[in-house]
Amino acid sequence: MRLLLELILFLPLCGAVLLALAGGRLPRRVVEAVACGTVWGSFAATLGAATLFASPAKVEIVNWLTDFEFAAPVTLYLDPLSLVIALMVTFVCGLIHLHAVAYMAGDPGYVRFFALLNLFVAAMLLLVLAENLPLLYMGWEGVGFCSYGLIGFWYREEKNATAARKAFIVTRIGDVALGIAIVWLYELFSTTSLTGINETVFLMPLMVITPIGILLLVGAMGKSAQLPLMVWLPDAMAGPTPVSALIHAATMVTAGVYLLIRLFPLVSVSPTVMAAIAVTGGASAFYGASCAVAQRDLKRVLAYSTISQIGFMMLGVGAGALAAATFHLIVHAFFKALLFLGAGCIITALHHEQDIYRMGGISRSLPAVSRLFLAGALCLAGFPLTGGFFSKDAILAAVWGRGGMLYLLLFLLGLATAFLTAYYTFRMVRLVCGGEGPAPQPLTPLMTGPLVPLAILGLGGGLLNIPHYLGEGLLGRVLASGGVRVEHAATATELALQAVAALTAVGGISLACHRYADSRRPLRIAEGAQPAGGLTAFLLHGWYADRLYARIFVEPFTGTARFLWQRVDAGLIDGGVDRLAELLGRCGSWLGRWSSGRVSTYLIYLAVGAVLLLGWLAGSAAGRGGW
Amino acid sequence: MGALLFYILATVMVVATVLAITGRHPVHAIVYLVTSFFALAGIFFLLLAPLVAMFEVIIYAGAVMVLFMFVIMMLDLGHPESGVRPGWRQWFPALVLSAVILVSLLLAAGSPATAPRTGGEGVKEFATLLYGRYGVAIEIISLQLLFAVVGALYLGRRR
Amino acid sequence: MIVPLAHILILAAVIFSLGLVCVLVWRSNVIMLLIGIEIMLNAAMLVFVGGSARWGAPDGQVFALMIMAMTSAEVSLALALVVYLHRRRRTVDVDAFRELRDP
Repeated sequence: MRLLLELILFLPLCGAVLLALAGGRLPRRVVEAVACGTVWGSFAATLGAATLFASPAKVEIVNWLTDFEFAAPVTLYLDPLSLVIALMVTFVCGLIHLHAVAYMAGDPGYVRFFALLNLFVAAMLLLVLAENLPLLYMGWEGVGFCSYGLIGFWYREEKNATAARKAFIVTRIGDVALGIAIVWLYELFSTTSLTGINETVFLMPLMVITPIGILLLVGAMGKSAQLPLMVWLPDAMAGPTPVSALIHAATMVTAGVYLLIRLFPLVSVSPTVMAAIAVTGGASAFYGASCAVAQRDLKRVLAYSTISQIGFMMLGVGAGALAAATFHLIVHAFFKALLFLGAGCIITALHHEQDIYRMGGISRSLPAVSRLFLAGALCLAGFPLTGGFFSKDAILAAVWGRGGMLYLLLFLLGLATAFLTAYYTFRMVRLVCGGEGPAPQPLTPLMTGPLVPLAILGLGGGLLNIPHYLGEGLLGRVLASGGVRVEHAATATELALQAVAALTAVGGISLACHRYADSRRPLRIAEGAQPAGGLTAFLLHGWYADRLYARIFVEPFTGTARFLWQRVDAGLIDGGVDRLAELLGRCGSWLGRWSSGRVSTYLIYLAVGAVLLLGWLAGSAAGRGGW
Repeated sequence: MGALLFYILATVMVVATVLAITGRHPVHAIVYLVTSFFALAGIFFLLLAPLVAMFEVIIYAGAVMVLFMFVIMMLDLGHPESGVRPGWRQWFPALVLSAVILVSLLLAAGSPATAPRTGGEGVKEFATLLYGRYGVAIEIISLQLLFAVVGALYLGRRR
Repeated sequence: MIVPLAHILILAAVIFSLGLVCVLVWRSNVIMLLIGIEIMLNAAMLVFVGGSARWGAPDGQVFALMIMAMTSAEVSLALALVVYLHRRRRTVDVDAFRELRDP
């Protein structure tokens, strides 16, 4: 088990180090083989660990950071939750690496790309498998760094570099909150071990747990792009599409949800924190879905839908439905990666066109890709019997089962979001696939191949955790063995809720298909050509969140900075120092007349000084009457 | 007898020094100075410091003055006609300053002196002290000499 | 002690003053300037040796020796500098070298 865990973590790390150091001197095929091989090797090791898995295992690999009471060794913790997530991460990463080989075929910076991608996998696995908070934080920052490097991968364009910086700075707000929470937790519990904290949390007073929980939530908000720290994710789409698929859809952005699930025993103590998580999740879900309705850029539609879907996961965590949240996390990873890779295929095929109003005809020109894309869209929309349907329904059922006014409202918000999700998904699908469009360029099998297993997993994801009235779900059982609470509503309620959810999804899909049917297509495209106004513009610009933040934070900041720079620094300090220097300079040039540069003059000064001193000494000696 | 000798030597020394600093020819100045140093060596001998007296002759009158002579020869400075002699403007402040020194020292030295004590310190005590208590100083001085040699070599090398 | 210490000090003061005069007067010849410094150092040595004889302690003689060693080091460097400067300007006039002042 120890060896397997080490392999899981260190294979991608070694790959990253090798590529970063020697990648430039290796042939291209070798680089690609190393990048994919290490990730698949890591997947194989995870699979091996899964087959051998008997009980939660804690393995200390290296002793690192030990000082008196503080200890943060490199300890990996494999329990059902981390095992499931690690399996998902390595598998999805492996597929996306394969896709990326094809996607990056013409790019000269492939070594940097694959090195960062491998490093990302290593950091993500470290985050997932970490047993103590500092190690988790290291992985957390590691994925943030890789995300930064990969969003700005084509850094020669100002826009991409700005997007990368924005992502880095906005997530930093959350990271600071998480850092404070870690220090606070250590101060309270005298340990940084996750298991240790979760075991002794009942000893702590509620009034301390609540702010810590809120801090953890803020950390999760930053990483998972939840309200109000969601502004970075749509811009993060500036990176290559495989990166969007891997980091900004499937894995990294779910880290916040993972953190909250990991520390659920802690956060669940405080009802306030739970409500805050649920509200954040519900609001983000609705926000993302509403914005996605109006987007024109294919990748931004998916980005907003990611915010929305992660909102669902947060809602699940806030409702205490860990199994459902984890289930949605995994299924979402499959279908969102599928959608992004499909989008990558479509964008490549259409010569890097990203505006969905200028696309079309994919179902005829690229039938295979269009069918796979449709599969992902069905999952996202929550079409009955797909994986997305079951996972989303499980979350909504948990929110319903929670009871109370707040959760009822959140349930209704969730339903509305589900409807919007179905609507925008099929708006996108109809615009991309229907009608006529430009002739695509052919795609390699390596590019489309990874979509197939993802589509199968996305569509059949429901089997991972079938509703309990059909038998105990696999995922639920696995997670329950790890101590995660799994709750079920009554069968009748659950069936009724599923029927409601199914109706919602089908309703949204049919509305979209109606509005964006081929017969109305020219009308919609003509509408799209108009400049957006009113509600559409509001939604297109993400509720003007960027502008709001610019008004609230950026402008006062730059204003203060300008004041400090021009008035205080340049005016007051520099001016004062200048004037002082001028005064001193004038004194100096006046005194400078005394220094002629002649050695003899200086000798005379020296002699005069010495003589004066000597005369004074002799005078005082004579005054005292001798030596 | 010793006292008489001291005053004679002192007179010789002052006269020789005055001649040295007023002479127009640098080589003459060096020769007068050697005379002055010999007189000083005699005074040292009278003051029961034979070793210092010998070193005075060997190092000062011998080595240092010869070094000066070398440089004068080398730079061909033995032509006082071409040199500029100091004028009144140079002499005046120097004489004033030295007068102040003399007066103040006379004032100080004129105070009643304690009874002189005779007593000889042999070369042996001197050597014991030199290499005992002042051993570190010897080391440092020798290092300084080494640096001086290196510096002189560096400055004197032809470029 | 053959003579009072005061007489030795007076002699030293006279010699020192003569050295100072030499230094201050001979600005046209750097060699003479250095000779003046030698004279002043000799006066200092005389004070040391006189004190040593007066109090019967050989420390003063040791310091006289130190002064000698230091002087030889100083003279060798100073004369090397003189040679160097003379090579540059063809003169030994002290006032010809005014690099200490800003140009």
